[in-house]
Amino acid sequence: MKRRTKKIGERGKPPLPVLLGTRNIGFSRMRGQLAPYAFLSPTLILVTLFFFIPLVMVFILSFTKLDMTNFGILEWWKPVNWSLDNYVKIFTNRFLSRILGNTIMYVAVTLALFNVGMALVIALITTHIKRRTGFAFRTLWFLPRITPVVVYTMMWRALAGPAPMGVINKYFLVPLGIGGGEYLLHTHPWVFVFLVNGFIGASFGMILFASAIESIPKDYTIASRVDGASTWQTIRYVELPMIKWPLLFVTTYQTLSLLTSFEQIMLLTDGGPGLYQTEVWSLTAYHRALTSYFGNTQWGYGAAWAVVLVIIGIVMAVIYLRVFKFRELVEEPKIDQL
Amino acid sequence: MKRLFLLMLIACFVVSGGLIALGQDTETVTITVRCRAKPPMEDWRGNNFIGAAKGLNTDLEAAGDPRRVEVVIIQDNIDWGDYVTEFVLSYVANEEPDIWLTGHEYIGVQAEAGRIIALDALMKEFPGFNSVIDSLWNSTSYKGEIWGVPQDAEARPLYFNKALLGELGWTANEIAALPDKIEKGEFTLYDMLTVAKEAVDKGVVADGNGFWMRPSNGPDFTALYYAFGGETIDVATGKLVFNEVAGLDYYQFFYDAAQTYGSMGGLGLGWGDAWHPGVSGSKVLFWVGGTWQWAEWAELFLKDLGGEAYMWETFGIALIPAAEQGGEANSLTHPMAYLISSQCEDPDLALALIEYVTDYGSNTRHAIASTHLGILKEQTEYKFYKDSRLLSETLYMLDYTTFLPNNPYWGPYSTITYEALAAVVGGDFTPQEAVEFVVDGLQRELGDDVIIR
Repeated sequence: MKRRTKKIGERGKPPLPVLLGTRNIGFSRMRGQLAPYAFLSPTLILVTLFFFIPLVMVFILSFTKLDMTNFGILEWWKPVNWSLDNYVKIFTNRFLSRILGNTIMYVAVTLALFNVGMALVIALITTHIKRRTGFAFRTLWFLPRITPVVVYTMMWRALAGPAPMGVINKYFLVPLGIGGGEYLLHTHPWVFVFLVNGFIGASFGMILFASAIESIPKDYTIASRVDGASTWQTIRYVELPMIKWPLLFVTTYQTLSLLTSFEQIMLLTDGGPGLYQTEVWSLTAYHRALTSYFGNTQWGYGAAWAVVLVIIGIVMAVIYLRVFKFRELVEEPKIDQL
Repeated sequence: MKRLFLLMLIACFVVSGGLIALGQDTETVTITVRCRAKPPMEDWRGNNFIGAAKGLNTDLEAAGDPRRVEVVIIQDNIDWGDYVTEFVLSYVANEEPDIWLTGHEYIGVQAEAGRIIALDALMKEFPGFNSVIDSLWNSTSYKGEIWGVPQDAEARPLYFNKALLGELGWTANEIAALPDKIEKGEFTLYDMLTVAKEAVDKGVVADGNGFWMRPSNGPDFTALYYAFGGETIDVATGKLVFNEVAGLDYYQFFYDAAQTYGSMGGLGLGWGDAWHPGVSGSKVLFWVGGTWQWAEWAELFLKDLGGEAYMWETFGIALIPAAEQGGEANSLTHPMAYLISSQCEDPDLALALIEYVTDYGSNTRHAIASTHLGILKEQTEYKFYKDSRLLSETLYMLDYTTFLPNNPYWGPYSTITYEALAAVVGGDFTPQEAVEFVVDGLQRELGDDVIIR
């Protein structure tokens, strides 16, 4: 503070009365301190209203037995109505292992084959061909993401339909003599769960990876060619190491995204066709909290499933950050520190 | 959406037109009617109120009552769970409909929560309700009071495919005699599975398509639980009941059907894209469905093949067979009912409107269009009702009908018992494990509110 006052004087401004100067300095200081919060306030308000408060409510709800029957009657906000019963029910559920196994399989397969794997392959291919062609292909691949999810999933349902209506059966499988024209969502539900989610999911990584690859200075790739590196060697030893950060981001973000996504599965199989056959954790939370043929939606129980999922997500994020050495990745390049 | 707006527009136009003519010294009361209805078959559930409002306004004017009603009709075909949730949430926001059409089994939970009113006292001033078949009032009664007015009923019969039975070598006479044999208890559930297995073995239907029930949780399964001697309600205490012995037989039947008799392949399918095309497309030999589906198949799935005429040639209808030789065949009726919100400011007007739509003309209109059974005494004698072949031929099923219980805990009970059923069909549980799962689940969820026998 002293230094700052001195600086003002040094710049030749007339000395202000002590009281006024103190007030001005105080106001200026206060304004300086508040300015960042003022800029942050819209975000803070939105995050508080639409994320933090709902999160706290879901957390509290998870300890209650609030459901459709006692809504408006049960005072769920009072600790006297809180218990761990919902969590006990979850961890003693006979189908817990199946739902957890489905979730792990869904996230791992979709992530490995599509959201990271296929995204990387497409990004690499489209950045190693004619620029305009690569751009056009990526644009086409992006279409499912900008198509309304219901329309997109209903198209897949139509594709998987039984012969003679189903396109895949009619034009591919039946002419080739494969299968009996069965409803493919009934016979191979997981294949379609992976495909439907994967084709959308891959577009996200594709865009990020392609941008990262294109931002690598051409000098590096040209130098590797001059040194006699093959295309694969250039990709393996030059390009991939330089897109570690996008790889970490896409893997982490898409893991968390897949853990919480259920809308495509809900529209495609709704967790079936067999009992919990394609039911993942987030879909169970939705089913328990918001759907029931006879209307017995259990908001408290569903909230408990959601809270466990949040905890799983946080644990996964921490593991990723440690495995990928996040700190090292965000460190300033050593060349800049010199 | 367009349909909804159109309906609302028509309703507003008709009623407001009447109001203008009535002059300025009147008070307009808006009554919102919410119906779940599959278009176009079930549209009369809501549309009947347009005429009802007109008639009621004439009555009010004649009686010197300054009130005039304006009805707002909201109807669509959303899932039952969403439909109930919508009512509960809108009730708390004080934006719920005044008249809410729903399945009778929801009465218990809504009555307990105080969201609907008992109608006994009000109904005394509306003698038109005396024409409703007496036994149907049982389905809308809870704790000794009436909470809803029946709107329609149905039978949930066993359908069979005559053409496929013919392929198995059944003669026309044998096929024609099947409903009678089932009614007399001479053709049991396991007899049906045996025929289903034969059809699968001979390649008449695909494996899994011998016998189907609905593809997801719902009332139909309870009829088979009853067939094996199961009970759902204790009359003395009003508590839900689960019978372990009957439950074991019930789950054994579905286990056998799926694992041994090439049946139950329809469980888990989507309604529109697989289940309806499967049964109406002659891919399934036996299936349990509802009478209202007859209209759906004729209108939406088989119109090009000749609609009802084709269906009478191809499909047969019978009661759900008995579990044992000489036992009683059954069916299940799940009446829909108009309920009135406890926050409705003019429940007398709401009930008057309901009385208007509970007459022979309005109800028959709906019954024929949707192939639901009528709810009025001697409705079968009504000329236009009599003309419907399906309604006439299934009428006898009401003599064998069963109901779901009106209990606030029916939702969790149904979910648990259905999960066990899906598990035995999928081969995840043995029948004994299914019973243990149900008993454990019911006791954990409902505690003292369920009786295990």
